[in-house]
Amino acid sequence: MRGSSGTPGHVRVAMLAVAWLLALALLGLWVVQRLHVSTDLRSFMPAPTTPDQRLLMEQVGEGPGSRLLLLAIAGADEASLARLSQDLAARLKPDARYTQVLNGSFDLTALDAKLLPYRYLLSPTLDTHTLDAPFLREELEQRLDDLSSPAASLLKDLLPRDPTLEVLKLAQRWAPANAPELREGVWFSPQGEALLLVQTAAVGFDPDAQRAAIDGIEAALRALPGGRVVRLTVSGPGYFSVVASTQTRQQADWIGRISTIGFIALLLLAYRSVSSLLLAALPVASGALAGIAALTLLYPQVHGITLAFGFTLLGVAQEYPIRVLSHRRAGEDAVASVRDLWPLLLTAIASACIAYLAFYASGVNGLKQLAVFTIVGLLAAGFSTRYLLPQLLPARVRDVAALPWLVRLRTAVDALPRPRWIPWLVAALVVGMLGLSRGPFWQNDLAALTPLPTDLLQRDARLRAALGAPDVRYLLTLEAATPDAVLALSERLQPKADRLIAQHAVDAIELPSRYLPSVATQRARQQKLPDRATLEHALAQATEGLPFRSGLFAPFVTDVETARTLPPLTPKAFAASPLGQRLAAMLIQRDGRWLGLGTVSGVHDAAALAALAQGSGGAVSVLDLKEAAESLVVAYRTRILQALLAAAALLVLTIGLALRSLRRAWHVLAPMTLATFLVLAVERVAGVEVSLFHLVALILAAGLGLHYALFFERDTGDAAEQRRTLHATLVCVLSALLVFGMLAWATIPVLRAIGLTVSLGVAFHFCLSILMAPHAPADDAAEK
Amino acid sequence: MQVLDRPLVVSGELAWLGGDTLERHVQKPHAETARITGGKVYQQREGKAERSFSLERAPQLKVLVDSFVALLGGDASRLRRAFAIARRGDGHGAWSLTLTPRDLAVARTVASIRIDGENGQARCMWMQEADGDVAIDLLGGLAAKMPAAPTREALAALCKGG
Repeated sequence: MRGSSGTPGHVRVAMLAVAWLLALALLGLWVVQRLHVSTDLRSFMPAPTTPDQRLLMEQVGEGPGSRLLLLAIAGADEASLARLSQDLAARLKPDARYTQVLNGSFDLTALDAKLLPYRYLLSPTLDTHTLDAPFLREELEQRLDDLSSPAASLLKDLLPRDPTLEVLKLAQRWAPANAPELREGVWFSPQGEALLLVQTAAVGFDPDAQRAAIDGIEAALRALPGGRVVRLTVSGPGYFSVVASTQTRQQADWIGRISTIGFIALLLLAYRSVSSLLLAALPVASGALAGIAALTLLYPQVHGITLAFGFTLLGVAQEYPIRVLSHRRAGEDAVASVRDLWPLLLTAIASACIAYLAFYASGVNGLKQLAVFTIVGLLAAGFSTRYLLPQLLPARVRDVAALPWLVRLRTAVDALPRPRWIPWLVAALVVGMLGLSRGPFWQNDLAALTPLPTDLLQRDARLRAALGAPDVRYLLTLEAATPDAVLALSERLQPKADRLIAQHAVDAIELPSRYLPSVATQRARQQKLPDRATLEHALAQATEGLPFRSGLFAPFVTDVETARTLPPLTPKAFAASPLGQRLAAMLIQRDGRWLGLGTVSGVHDAAALAALAQGSGGAVSVLDLKEAAESLVVAYRTRILQALLAAAALLVLTIGLALRSLRRAWHVLAPMTLATFLVLAVERVAGVEVSLFHLVALILAAGLGLHYALFFERDTGDAAEQRRTLHATLVCVLSALLVFGMLAWATIPVLRAIGLTVSLGVAFHFCLSILMAPHAPADDAAEK
Repeated sequence: MQVLDRPLVVSGELAWLGGDTLERHVQKPHAETARITGGKVYQQREGKAERSFSLERAPQLKVLVDSFVALLGGDASRLRRAFAIARRGDGHGAWSLTLTPRDLAVARTVASIRIDGENGQARCMWMQEADGDVAIDLLGGLAAKMPAAPTREALAALCKGG
């Protein structure tokens, strides 16, 4: 059975190697064809459990707020910027990728020409007036004043068709509530940038569609005369999803490349054998492919972050072949040395899998995927290390135990004082540092989980404030059986909303009925429209003695006549026009019921806003997305902590059973636990607020630390084996520091948090497991 | 005006407050003050809240400001930048100055401005809008001679002087 003797053995080894590689290649091919990578950030947020939380998650990705792109054009004089803003808006409006383009310019085309007669059903004028002689007289006198005023040219064209200026009333009604300053006819920020609001047809968290939309804007701007020299700033949820997916991909790529190069160099240095190095890569490759294959089977889409984190976490699996390589003895068959090592290795694999199970219990889709990937990956890597790798390893090896520097290092390590008070000193330090630390312990802000640099968020806040764009934090929901019932409910809510605005509790509230009144309201207004004869008579009375040319208002009379017989405008019919698209985004169907969404800007008094829902019998609710998200995070953390506790109990049981001694289990678990708390304490003293990602990183570091402690604790009574253990652990620690030290350089806050936490953890775990390992000779003596 | 079958008569004061600020006080038919400053028009009518809009939306006002400020401030180069200028005199002290906007967007609304004067005194300002409407300002002492129901011809005669 020895692969080292004779030609048949060589053939068998070659066949095994080819079969393994072929299996990996086939698996790889299958995975490439089936794998759908998603970049939806929401799968890394906690899973919603209540209807409100479900709505929250949908809105974060698909609501009207999440489709808004905020644009700022800078870098030229005001007049050129204004012209660019106008030309850009003109180019984007016919493009199907954008449902609404606003730049502040006065735009009557917002109302489709065919829909123009509907103005009498859409405008609230007829709620308080009728088109009778006194009202028309008053209006016409005002128009005469207007003609003599500087505003004359604005309305001269409108006058014959629309003497009561309903179109202007509607334009005012539909303009954003807190519009920015108008200069040269378009919106400008206080910093002198031309501002535009673009609503995309694509949902906010579809990075590919958002990228297409943003590229389309960029291309349209650059194609304009003078559009090449200006600076375009884009912000909004859609832009963020593009940035996040690009950054994740780029950073995962370069960190992965550098880590791989460093790792190869480290292994070459440690084992001086190219074939060993190549073979040692096989278990990890098998683990990664098996992990992805399992994900592809279980989930329709695999998240990009899952893959990036997953490959990182699978770094633990590199330890298995490293242990095998370091522990080989001169002249001993690889299969035999693996057999010796296997019980301990199996304990290590089992405990790492148990720790990663905690991810699965988190209930977060992305983390569940991460758990599936890492557990399947670890098992595949572990078992291929046990059953496949040793068959292929070359027979002749360099026994690392004979290395002079390692002998000296082991002696030095053995000579280290190991006073029994060390655990107590570290525990006291931890308690002291945790007591000293300032600021909130937990980071509940969902934004801290979103891998976005803060300057982007600040820029977004600045543009959002300048544009008066709705807050993404608060959302009003109106629930009813039909879209029309939602609109009717929205109309009843409007006076309450107006009171809130008057009290300065909020700056603005945008309800669906702002764009379209209910059918009942439209019918009521229609009933008030006079017939042709009555209107002509009233008009004749009203113009008596006024200088208007006779017959001037014929188009007005025709429009009113048309409006009398129009079927009321429904959201469906309205959806054909740009503004109808806006409304469509505010009405969503859900479980056979309809939900209307109201956006809120500039909330000054959250309690007053919350009171808006009172007395509606549950039909109206105010959703604080931030609060809902934070409560989700707290619930999610509680679940992670519970899962961790269970995992810890399981771990103690597993280690205790595997080692069959509570005393030995203590030597393994105590350094691991202390080092974990030490990392926590050091980060807290440094002012770090603990987020879910820190917890994840602590679990990972604990898994690595457990390996170190397990192997240091192993007492073979063989000095050479002790040296091999030290060698293997050193290679493992260095490779972990390499991989996670690299992560600490990432600009994505989450990657940085993980990198720093794991690097610190690996260092502490290594030191403590050396210092707290049983002192070989002394302990042997004590036990005997 | 085309939308009206007889002219609209407004009387009041137009004042240049220095810089780009013009103020227009109207006494008849309704008291109203309009101030043009910093690219915006602020309109205050008796008993009503102040309204404001951008000068960009009212090209003829922009032209008015440009021509007035340049004329009253004696800024010839500014005047020449904004308008093509044609000057005519009859040799007896009467003169007329025709300003045609150079900006095509402005010219789509305001065809030209003509200022009639005699010796050192401007008498009338004509604003010919592109749609055929004409606004005629009688300036200085001439304003008092505004007829109750003026016609274009009667005003033209007034401006010529005599």
